Amino acid sequence: MSTLSAKGLRKSFGGVVAVDGADLDLHEGRINGLIGPNGSGKTTLFNIVTGMIKADSGTVRLGGTEVTGWSPHRIAHAGLGRTFQLCRVFPRLTVMENMLVSLRRPRLRDILGGLTSKADVEVAMGWLERVGLDHLAGTDARDLSYGQQKLLELAAVLMADPQLILLDEPAGGVNPALIDRIGDLVRDLNAEGRTFLIVEHNMAMVMSLCQHIIVFDRGRPIAAGPPAEIQSDPRVLEAYLGV
Amino acid sequence: MPNASSVRSPAPTALPHLPRSVPLRIGLGLLLVLLLAYPWIAPGGYLRYAGVLVVMYAVLSTSWSMVGGFTGYVSLGHAAFFGLGAYATGIGVVTLGLPHAAAFVLGVLVVAVFAAVAGLAAVRARGASFVIVTIAMVTMLSLLAQDMTWLTGGSAGLQVPGAVAGISRTGNHALFFYLFTVLLLFALLTWWFIDRSRYGAGLKAIREDEEKAEALGVPTTAYKVAALTVSAAFTGAAGGLYAMWFGNLDPIFVFSLVLGSSMVLMALLGGSRYLLGPTLGAFVVAPANEYFLTQHGESQLHIILSGALLFVVVLFMPEGVIPAVQRALRRFRPQSASIREQTQQELHESRGAAT
Ligand SMILES: Nc1ncnc2c1ncn2[C@@H]1O[C@H](COP(=O)(O)OP(=O)(O)OP(=O)(O)O)[C@@H](O)[C@H]1O
Ligand SMILES: [Mg+2]
Repeated sequence: MSTLSAKGLRKSFGGVVAVDGADLDLHEGRINGLIGPNGSGKTTLFNIVTGMIKADSGTVRLGGTEVTGWSPHRIAHAGLGRTFQLCRVFPRLTVMENMLVSLRRPRLRDILGGLTSKADVEVAMGWLERVGLDHLAGTDARDLSYGQQKLLELAAVLMADPQLILLDEPAGGVNPALIDRIGDLVRDLNAEGRTFLIVEHNMAMVMSLCQHIIVFDRGRPIAAGPPAEIQSDPRVLEAYLGV
Repeated sequence: MPNASSVRSPAPTALPHLPRSVPLRIGLGLLLVLLLAYPWIAPGGYLRYAGVLVVMYAVLSTSWSMVGGFTGYVSLGHAAFFGLGAYATGIGVVTLGLPHAAAFVLGVLVVAVFAAVAGLAAVRARGASFVIVTIAMVTMLSLLAQDMTWLTGGSAGLQVPGAVAGISRTGNHALFFYLFTVLLLFALLTWWFIDRSRYGAGLKAIREDEEKAEALGVPTTAYKVAALTVSAAFTGAAGGLYAMWFGNLDPIFVFSLVLGSSMVLMALLGGSRYLLGPTLGAFVVAPANEYFLTQHGESQLHIILSGALLFVVVLFMPEGVIPAVQRALRRFRPQSASIREQTQQELHESRGAAT
């Protein structure tokens, strides 16, 4: 079954065509990679799919439901979570408060429920333990290191229990040990049934982590397949090396 | 080694805005008793009047911070809600002939509905644009109140008969001092409740990074409109009490930008992210304001000075005095002193070793 599919997405900023008639089809339960040169439209594609910018044309479906034009929070509640290329956490909120911003279901009872509601705090602590930040629960997010902030961003996304997670350069600006840790975490989460779409420039990480890779160039996919195939695809070499 | 700023209280969910230490609690208790006895110990009618005004301002700045503090949306036009509450209550009594309590409830409802509708449009604007929208809102209502003479009495003002027939001036001041105090307690309780709810976490997330909050599933528009509505309802309630207490509504004052900016100044000066910050700000700024008015009369100087103070607060103490005072206190605490002692001791030892 297809979990995310997009047809004919187009988006231009003034004269720059960022996404140019892109189609996308993600299979459920896989770790998908999205690679491509700088400025090829990967982040713009994320922004369209998550509802953060409106495409000029095209449709987006999530698990069979058309979500084109939905607001980002609605898409989030439909089970899609994302992180940002430049990691974004709420700097003056504590780590625990960061975790409690997102809700699985926006029911009035949950919204007005206290931050001390035991079940929610326990779930949050569980995620913090998994990313290794549980000892920092009471710290302001701005006092964390960049790598810790990236882990917090991922943990906060997981609070909503998304079935599909888009990561925009999870390894960017992060030390090698942490890259391995993030990779392991993604593998574990995938084993639990979550689908991933990962934009990443670190080829070692992409090739070892992803089961399916989509190559983007000038706003549209030019190739797709398993890592071994992609590595030897002449179109990919051309896009990257200009040969 | 962990430094003091990176490791805070171990309690993961603690939002320690209420003071924990015993001396602080006793101090606050004493302050509360003094506050409640104020109408009876205040020497003279003017001070009784000023006391009511100060508590009213505390309600206003606390209500303001339900939007300005949580979401970071700065409204300079909150006087719109105050004036509307005052006029709706006044008109309820004068024109509709309602009992005072019913007129008050009507006033609060009118303001809440107005805020919800206006808010839906206003919160689309962010940052400076939002500020301008709120200014436009209060200016518009001021002009309407001056124009619709048949309903509002126009620039001559609206005379609202007192709530209790034949009550003395002192009795009236005492009555409204307590009514405003009850309203203040309700406002503080609401603030506290929001602060510790998931809803509050969502509002604060909007303040920190609105796009990110949306991406995490926070329905930001609904959250902001709800916050504005609750904040406006309390502001309007204060307006309603003001109408019954003061008895004379001046459209220029109740719908003024000066009144709106006072709320901002008081909330920011005290600290709009702290439960008692806006109240503290009101307790400092409102008396200073009144003192200045009695000494120098109403003048442009007075407006310029409060404007300058707002400027200084925004520039140098954007979080208000509460965190600034906390930092200062921390500097004088024994822990930080002991670090210095240790270094000196080490210095001493190293000197001893050298000789
Ligand atoms: N908000 C915007 N306004 C104007 N132009 C934009 C905007 N967002 C993206 N662009 C342009 O669209 C093109 C695609 O950008 P995008 O960020 O999607 O690329 P990317 O594949 O994520 O690149 P990178 O690998 O460097 O992150 C670029 O030319 C960029 O300058
Ligand atoms: Mg990008």
